[in-house]
Amino acid sequence: MGDFWIMAKKELKNLFRDKKLIFGLVVVPLILFPVMGRAISVGMEQAQGETRVAIVNFDSGQYGEVLIKTLRMSPNVTVDVVNASSLEEALQRAVAEKQNVLVVIPQDFSSRLEKNEKATVGIYGIFTTVGAGIKESISEGRINAVIEVLSQSIARIKVERLGAENPDAVLQPIATESRSVIKGRIVDVSPSVVSGVMASQSFSIPLIVFLMVMITAQMAAGAMASEKENKTLETLLTLPVPRTKIVGAKIFGTAVMGLVAAIAYMIGMNSYMGSFNFGSSGVTLADLGLKVTPYGMVLFVAAVFLTIVFSLSLAMLLAIFAEDVQSATTVVSAVIMPLAFPAFLLMYTDVSNMPAVFKYLMLATPFTHPIIDFRNLLMGNYLPVLLSVIYLGITAAGALYTTAWLFSTEKVLTAKISWGKRKRG
Amino acid sequence: MVVVKVESLEKDYGTVKALRGISFSINEGEIFGLIGPNGAGKSTTLKILATLLTPTGGRAEVFGHDVVKDAPKVRELISYLPEEAGAYKNLTGMEYLEFMARLYSKSPEEALKMVDIGAKLSGLGERLHDKVSTYSKGMTRKLLLARALMVKPKLAILDEPASGLDIVNAYAIRKTIREFARNEGVTFLISSHNMLEVEFLCHRVALIDSGRIIDTGSPKELKERYGAENLEEVFMQAVGKGGDASG
Ligand SMILES: Nc1ncnc2c1ncn2[C@@H]1O[C@H](COP(=O)(O)OP(=O)(O)O)[C@@H](O)[C@H]1O
Ligand SMILES: [Mg+2]
Repeated sequence: MGDFWIMAKKELKNLFRDKKLIFGLVVVPLILFPVMGRAISVGMEQAQGETRVAIVNFDSGQYGEVLIKTLRMSPNVTVDVVNASSLEEALQRAVAEKQNVLVVIPQDFSSRLEKNEKATVGIYGIFTTVGAGIKESISEGRINAVIEVLSQSIARIKVERLGAENPDAVLQPIATESRSVIKGRIVDVSPSVVSGVMASQSFSIPLIVFLMVMITAQMAAGAMASEKENKTLETLLTLPVPRTKIVGAKIFGTAVMGLVAAIAYMIGMNSYMGSFNFGSSGVTLADLGLKVTPYGMVLFVAAVFLTIVFSLSLAMLLAIFAEDVQSATTVVSAVIMPLAFPAFLLMYTDVSNMPAVFKYLMLATPFTHPIIDFRNLLMGNYLPVLLSVIYLGITAAGALYTTAWLFSTEKVLTAKISWGKRKRG
Repeated sequence: MVVVKVESLEKDYGTVKALRGISFSINEGEIFGLIGPNGAGKSTTLKILATLLTPTGGRAEVFGHDVVKDAPKVRELISYLPEEAGAYKNLTGMEYLEFMARLYSKSPEEALKMVDIGAKLSGLGERLHDKVSTYSKGMTRKLLLARALMVKPKLAILDEPASGLDIVNAYAIRKTIREFARNEGVTFLISSHNMLEVEFLCHRVALIDSGRIIDTGSPKELKERYGAENLEEVFMQAVGKGGDASG
């Protein structure tokens, strides 16, 4: 085994035996995210399962009964008719029976409909605890939908009675047919669905890149600073091993750990996101003609790899100046967080929408590149991605070289800055 | 044969002058002691010889190799025990020795032999299979000394090997060093502020104070020269005479 692998093995052993690290990086995403997702989706399912509606009918005509019948026939709706003589009494009953929603049909409901006047139905959402209110809002939505259907059919009959030949055309004189144009190709999917699909990718890629960068940077800084804190650095530096190999092995060890963490986060996030997939259109990026070719994938992997090398080198460079792990993590957060923040911004916007100054600032930050590259690859723009990989290669090499150089000087021992604590003489 | 040659060595930390031009040399097979009070410049000298620091002036050689220009070559010949040192907490003592042995050995068999020697030198027995994080200060120091010696370096540089330890542990450490030097013929450079320890261990000593070497000689020679009973008295008198007692 070469010196590099002996060093790398030691780094990995040291990292993988760190219980705190393993807990935060592997256990939390693998267990916490899915559990969180499950909890939310259970709430959703419960809300979705059945809507119980209480109805009080003060109507003197027959349309009130029609409305109740229509609601009864609607899927997922259970109707409880409340007998009450006043609104107050009805509300009291509904609260006592732990209903979510009370529907009130007024006394003039039928007569107004017959006179071609607008009739009104009251809907009361009943909140008994300070929860998310998902049930109440879903119930309201369902009732509105039912009333909309009923309202449409009543309108239809009325329009027909007035002698119109094509009542549907009278009621809805204009219809829309929406399609999307992607990469110059017409796709038979509405823009809102396309934007939904794109939003989910524009949300998850930046988040994963941001997490990766922060986590690996902290680990790298920690790995370097713990050599100082545990007083192993001086011995390490007198070993018959080139300093470049020592730095290289540390970066390698952290990158492997980062990879494991990234996979754990992706699995965790995936099952978290997967929990929300109710009623999804089932449209994928590939269906929209947004595919990443093998060549594109190679470019993307190169971009991600170089970004991580840059981030690790920068973190180690900062950690060289820190006296202990705490100072190292503090300073790395303080420097890398603002640098990685623009990547976070890309969750909500795109560089093409920004003023020129911002755009170039964003592009100067290596951490935004994997995200922008991925978008360009989806759209089939390879040239900007190639340029970006070259830019990342230069910045990563620069950071790596600077770190290795600093590491081979005595600065690594004499630079002692402590953040957050008072320096003691 | 001259193992270490130091000539007019100077080291500044910013405005602090830690070394003001010191010179000494160490012969093969010697246990050489650098003794002086805290802040005298002992650790600084040892760190320069261990290729950790670059001198501000003068030069230092190990087996004829310049410690700055030929640092990689020097690192192959030496083994350095820092004044304050630890081992990797998540490794067991045994794994730590194995890791170090692999870096110094040319074959797995050689590494195994080194680990064997290290395990014996440490005197930790079964505790070697426990994580370093569970070790006491004395145990850690023994492990680190064992790792420094097991590779049988041409020159062992030990910075205050027994300081801060209780009598029992300090005695064990000194005994290990003395026996190892006698059996293996390794050259030692040891720093200490404990004059009695130095008298027990060293063939020759240099008295260092405020970045200057005041006098050099064997403990016996020095005691005779100053008409003193022990090195402690020698040191006090040498300092009192302002550093040119020998001249
Ligand atoms: N990293 C450093 N920065 C500034 N001054 C230092 C540093 N290391 C040591 N010194 C100073 O250099 C002098 C010699 O220190 P050192 O070699 O550690 O002495 P010793 O080991 O003999 O106690 C002391 O005055 C000490 O304060
Ligand atoms: Mg010292």
